[in-house]
Amino acid sequence: MQRRTLLHWIASTAAILPFQRLRVLAQPRELTPAAIAMLHEISPTVLPASLGAERVRGTVDKFVQWTRGYREGVALSHGYGHPRLQKTGASPVPGYVSQLAALDADARAKGGKWSTLDLETRRALLDAAFTRAGVRALPPRPMGQHVVADLMAFYFRSSEANDICYSAMIQREVCRPIAITIRKPEPLR
Amino acid sequence: MTHETDICIIGGGITSAMLAQKLSELRPGVHVTVVEAGRSIFDVQNRGRYRERANDYGEHPWHDDYIEDQQASGIISMTMAVGGLALHWGGACNRFSAEDLRLKSMYGLAVDWPIEFKELERYYCEAERRLNVSGAPSLYAEDWRSQPYPQPPIPLSYNLQTLKAWAEKSGLKFDGLPMARNLTPFGGRGACCVYDTCGEVCPSGARYSPDFTFRQLMEPKKIVLHDRTLVRRLVLDDRRTDVVAAQGFHQDRPTDPVEYRAKTFVVASGYCWSSHLLLLSTSSRFPNGLANSSGLVGRYMNGHSFISATANIDDQTFPGQNMTHSLISRQYFRCATDKPFVRHDTRVWESSAGRDPRLRTPEGRLLLGDELMADWRSRTKGSSVRLRAYVDVHPSADSRLTLDASKKNRYGDPMPKIEHRFDDATRARQAATKAHVLNVFGTLAKASNGRIVNSGESDYLDHPGGGCRMGADPKTSVCDSYGRTHDHANLFVVGAPTTPTGGCTNGTLTFVALTLRSADEIARGFSTRR
Repeated sequence: MQRRTLLHWIASTAAILPFQRLRVLAQPRELTPAAIAMLHEISPTVLPASLGAERVRGTVDKFVQWTRGYREGVALSHGYGHPRLQKTGASPVPGYVSQLAALDADARAKGGKWSTLDLETRRALLDAAFTRAGVRALPPRPMGQHVVADLMAFYFRSSEANDICYSAMIQREVCRPIAITIRKPEPLR
Repeated sequence: MTHETDICIIGGGITSAMLAQKLSELRPGVHVTVVEAGRSIFDVQNRGRYRERANDYGEHPWHDDYIEDQQASGIISMTMAVGGLALHWGGACNRFSAEDLRLKSMYGLAVDWPIEFKELERYYCEAERRLNVSGAPSLYAEDWRSQPYPQPPIPLSYNLQTLKAWAEKSGLKFDGLPMARNLTPFGGRGACCVYDTCGEVCPSGARYSPDFTFRQLMEPKKIVLHDRTLVRRLVLDDRRTDVVAAQGFHQDRPTDPVEYRAKTFVVASGYCWSSHLLLLSTSSRFPNGLANSSGLVGRYMNGHSFISATANIDDQTFPGQNMTHSLISRQYFRCATDKPFVRHDTRVWESSAGRDPRLRTPEGRLLLGDELMADWRSRTKGSSVRLRAYVDVHPSADSRLTLDASKKNRYGDPMPKIEHRFDDATRARQAATKAHVLNVFGTLAKASNGRIVNSGESDYLDHPGGGCRMGADPKTSVCDSYGRTHDHANLFVVGAPTTPTGGCTNGTLTFVALTLRSADEIARGFSTRR
């Protein structure tokens, strides 16, 4: 293919691509380093500090992994009784990146980095962000409405959090011998 | 393309698997072909990953187990695949009781089944053996059994032990629910590892699913399975009333009809698609479809309604131990004939309802980090208990599956539309039934400082059946007690569609037991020497 022909082909292809498609192509497929850094900065506020810094950091790392494993257009559970076909939507990552950038900007507008704000200011910023995103309750699992609510759901809906809440080794989602279940769960070590 | 076979089974769910398995044992020389519209999902090795994806992302764990243009209005599950709805059933294996089969003669309600309970009980034993059911003999003497369960009961979790002690203070007796769940490896399937996702996907295979049976039958070539092949109609002999062929298409060859010619045809397509196929199979001699001289194909669609509640009690449990196991009381399987009719099972589960983590206080304050954990922990004292009763309700003739001309599949076939209707007696006693069940729940809740915090009623019927009900009289039924259609000697319908009424507890074991009895009759039509 001659160079002129190639340029002409690229130009004509670009012309027929819908703008929406181009916008999608321009969107991040993974959380950006800046977004991940912001998520780490916010996480001690929204995850239990009692976990310790290392486990809080580890939870964020697992959540980032979760975003990488997200697949678009996959059938969701059909349900039973009144089944219906639903599929996973577009990746939440672009929305997450925007939401984290917005929280960063909100924090700076209040006078500093997120971590330097007092708790009630941080709460107010999150409250407003959740309201804008339509988050009213803790999602049953990350649902893509707001990145911080999803991080919270990722942790608080986990088997690990359930064990910590009950201070007991229930291990709800862990493969285990059935005989273990006949005893009162051991206290959490 | 034409395939010749001895027995053509249409449908690939649990009754089909049990039928094919038994026929291959009784008549090993007989050629059995199973035709299923959906695909085979035999990648057992991936089910752990599917479970993880279902837990983490909400993904459906059975990929492409449905056909988008082959869906019914009013159906309870979209699944259409080898294994059917039993790919993702919970594994509950309760028996009906003798009363279910004698509603007319005992109570003057609905109809009697054309089969004695003693006869059905033999097949319950066989079904339990084949499904490797884990259970304890009922605490109620009326629930006699002629053989023990093949497995001991599933050990009650600490939570269920606590709830059993609580619930039995009401005077009702509770057992652990019998389940088709391996405690030790059996039948090529693993032992239960309490993944606690029985109703979605069981990675170890401990909870029975028919795909295992089909694989075990196919590998040594005991049967032939054609998946992704939709049978659209059954064709009669030109002069006689025998069915001679089943015709349809493979999904990949929509312009190349496929035909199965057999001596015997068995429709094992569940409560919805069995009636649908018969209604579609019209001809000049049978303009209303096959097996339908009574006009009852697609009528008397049944199932049980249910009433649910949540109780809060002081006794402490730890939600998440084994949430898919439960307790059952069979106290109200019986009803005195001189009392107002009400029959239901009573089930109890551990629950975390109302005690899950929440984002905001009731006043609306956003909870963060340790605050959220502290709020959650403060609400975990005591326990939530999930209660449910499956209620015996009876269909009217207008409880129907009809062909909906406004919704068609790729071949132009109208899709089914199911609309449940209760008979007059059921409707007349609905308020009293609800009051009775809520009173039972209230009585249960009294112990341990308990109280009912919410309740609700079903808006669909569970474990549906009917549409091809069995009976002795060809004028009032579609098939006999073996599922042999009155109109066509070589056409059988098996399982759920043949049930006249839906009982008051999970139906799968009954559907399987009836099918195993049909298998004996079908086998009698074939010589043992082939």
